[in-house]
Amino acid sequence: MAYLEIKNIEKKYGSFNLSLSLEAGEGEFLCIIGPSGSGKSTLLSLIAGLEEPDSGSIILDGRDITREKIQDRGIAMVFQDFTLFPSMNVQKNIEFGMKMREKTKRRNLAANLLKLVGLEGYGKRSVTSLSGGEAQRVQLARALASEPGILLLDEPLSALDPPMRKNIRNAIRAIHDSLGITMLYVTHDREEAFSISDSIVIMNEGRIAARGSAEELYRHPSDLFTAFFTGEGTAIPAHLVFENMEGSVFFRPEEATISEDELDPSLYTMHVIFSGCEVVSCEFTGAGYMLGLNYKGYPLLCQSATKPRRKTVSLMILRESLRNLI
Amino acid sequence: MARYDGYYLRRALPGIAVLVVLFLIPLITTFSYAFHDGMRPLMEIFEDGYTYRLLSFTLTESLLSALLSVLAALPFAAYFSRYTFPGRKAVMTLSALAFTIPTILVVLGFVIWYGNNGLLNDFLMRLTGRDHSVIEVLYSFRAIILAHVYLNFPIAFLLITQAWEGLSDTTEHAAYTLGAGRIRTFFMVTLPRLRGSIAAAFILIFLFCFSSFSIILVLGGNPAYSTFETEIYRRVHISVDREGAAALSVFALCVSSLLLIITGPGMRRRKAERRQRELIKAKGGTLAAAYALVLLILLFLLPPMLSIIYRAFYTKEGAFTLKAWNDIAEGGTGFMSAASGAVIASFVIASAVSLLSVFLGARIAMASAKRGSVLLPLLSSMPMASGSVTLGLGFSFLSAMIPFKSPLISLLLVIAAHLVIVLPFSVRTITPGARAIPALLPDAAYTLGASKRRTRRKVEMPFLYPYMRKAFAFSFALSLGEVNATLTLSDGRISTIPVLIYRMIGSYNYQGAAALGTILLAEALIIFAIGECGGKKNGIS
Repeated sequence: MAYLEIKNIEKKYGSFNLSLSLEAGEGEFLCIIGPSGSGKSTLLSLIAGLEEPDSGSIILDGRDITREKIQDRGIAMVFQDFTLFPSMNVQKNIEFGMKMREKTKRRNLAANLLKLVGLEGYGKRSVTSLSGGEAQRVQLARALASEPGILLLDEPLSALDPPMRKNIRNAIRAIHDSLGITMLYVTHDREEAFSISDSIVIMNEGRIAARGSAEELYRHPSDLFTAFFTGEGTAIPAHLVFENMEGSVFFRPEEATISEDELDPSLYTMHVIFSGCEVVSCEFTGAGYMLGLNYKGYPLLCQSATKPRRKTVSLMILRESLRNLI
Repeated sequence: MARYDGYYLRRALPGIAVLVVLFLIPLITTFSYAFHDGMRPLMEIFEDGYTYRLLSFTLTESLLSALLSVLAALPFAAYFSRYTFPGRKAVMTLSALAFTIPTILVVLGFVIWYGNNGLLNDFLMRLTGRDHSVIEVLYSFRAIILAHVYLNFPIAFLLITQAWEGLSDTTEHAAYTLGAGRIRTFFMVTLPRLRGSIAAAFILIFLFCFSSFSIILVLGGNPAYSTFETEIYRRVHISVDREGAAALSVFALCVSSLLLIITGPGMRRRKAERRQRELIKAKGGTLAAAYALVLLILLFLLPPMLSIIYRAFYTKEGAFTLKAWNDIAEGGTGFMSAASGAVIASFVIASAVSLLSVFLGARIAMASAKRGSVLLPLLSSMPMASGSVTLGLGFSFLSAMIPFKSPLISLLLVIAAHLVIVLPFSVRTITPGARAIPALLPDAAYTLGASKRRTRRKVEMPFLYPYMRKAFAFSFALSLGEVNATLTLSDGRISTIPVLIYRMIGSYNYQGAAALGTILLAEALIIFAIGECGGKKNGIS
């Protein structure tokens, strides 16, 4: 049985409607991504008990916590904003949620957690003197100190600079692997999700659009929303390529190859060929070039190792790389 | 869930009950007198031309006082918000004292300093060799206005300087680059940006002066100069016309409620700009000019207060004496026999009132910040609208209904009257602290397993402490200096220092009044120090 089970949960605010079911295994690192307003933070609030669902149930470790008080749920949360208690120093903040009574044990645990998040010796510091990254590390230590059954992280890195993000992201993953704690990690940054998680849930308009590993979602998206949310790509009406096909066909820029010469379709039976594409833009990306092409009025995106010299090129893609999506 | 289960509202209930009971009961009693005999007293008040003369005088003196205070403050604010120099901070702090100084001290200081036989005239007579007073200010309309400006100029100066300091220069610089001169820039750019703060200061002072009491009563020295507050008091204590007093206070309540509604939008606080103005270090001529301004402020503000202290130790003829102090310590004759009792009573009342008002006020502030409710702030500002004399009147009616008399009951009634007057200010002082608590902070504590109680005590309350200390000092000062309600309610059993000073001025015992005034001044200074300093290092922004 799943460790965290969310069954048919519903929450309505005005025109927004959250409605989903979700499971997470014990010790899993599950990322929830989606555009802003997709309901990912609301989902965390429902699990934490900061919001009450209209219907449905939440079961954590076999216990129905849907109507439990926040305090008794055995969850801990790391917030995007600064939520350290300014009236206490770093150590007191970390000790705040500890269950044990004994003073030396509390102090030792706090010291160990500080070491774990890479802030050894910070105990006596005032929390208002911390940098953004340090504050998030202390939040993490404080959440872990309460020995939660599940750790909820609500965009914990969104307020930080990119280099700092990467740094703490790795620390979070390392802590997950060493403690084996179940983590639910909300972010709107797909790169962050790809690099950190075992499994990703993509949310859109209050519903789950897709779930899978980063590779699955990128390579085999189930719909156009997932396809575009997980990376760049091109979608054109399917009937342009295949007769009698509905919907769109989708491909990633790296799946297409350009040629500056005319291509003979009879030589490439495994491929679909788009000839007469006008080069609209050419951006240098470091590893190569990202070309924007115009094919019969439809924009195509294609990666190329070299910079085309001609204004008109042909494009070929393996038939099996073209996915029919809606 | 259960985040908003009424926990904070339940905790605020005692305070709300105190407000409702202590405000409504005396008010209803007053109304019952006013509506007695088929509204006859009230109809008479509405038909009496004198009522409208009162209204017009009250409005005139308040508008004039506010206008002069603000106009006088502007040039000083312009300098103090632009330049920094040694002593600048001290002058600002001195001005902040105006919020704490009891009005009765202004009255006393004026009598001793500006009086026809006062210290200033003494000095000027010796200087000019004349044998009669050189300036005759006191007991006139001018004296009322001068005293109001004395009390409120520092407030206007402080509020406008602080607002001006908070305006970054960038907009003005932009105006200069567009070719606007200094004068045009001031009128077209700076003044419009300051307008809100100037209006707020003006309104605040206007409302203060509208309910002015002891300054009018003593320094006006003539029943022709009557405001609503003084007239209600006169009717109760001199002409013993309870119904008339009650009816007049109902009329005054209508007027002041109307004024509060009209002025409400102008009092709204503006958000501070992100960039503060950079102060320029004053040098040479600017520094000299700055010190000239400082000197002007000091010459205006200090002599009346210092003359109180002087007069507590020196006779009119200038001989050193400790008679007044002996009288206070050992019990003299006349009013002096009550002096030590008044000192103790004032302290007990102010302590009880300030502790209660902070205790109850913090809970109300917290509940209203949590709920974002409109009702609570409205409820807690009602006593402000009704005026202290009206409340005192209600309490005196109430005390007349209590069949047995004892000093304890009188003491409790004074405490109750002060509490309902002070509590709204306490709530207003603490509410910004409660609003400063980030909404996520308690959520974070709950997710860590902390109960509501523990979260409140460990996480939320620390935000309130600096504000509570301020509210304590403010409440203490207000109660310590309260004259309006205390005098109106007074049945002679309980005298506070300000009431006794008022009576002593009336019987020309200036030395005794000055000695008591010195004690009051010392207490006010101590309480001001408690409110201003300390706790700044762990201040939470």
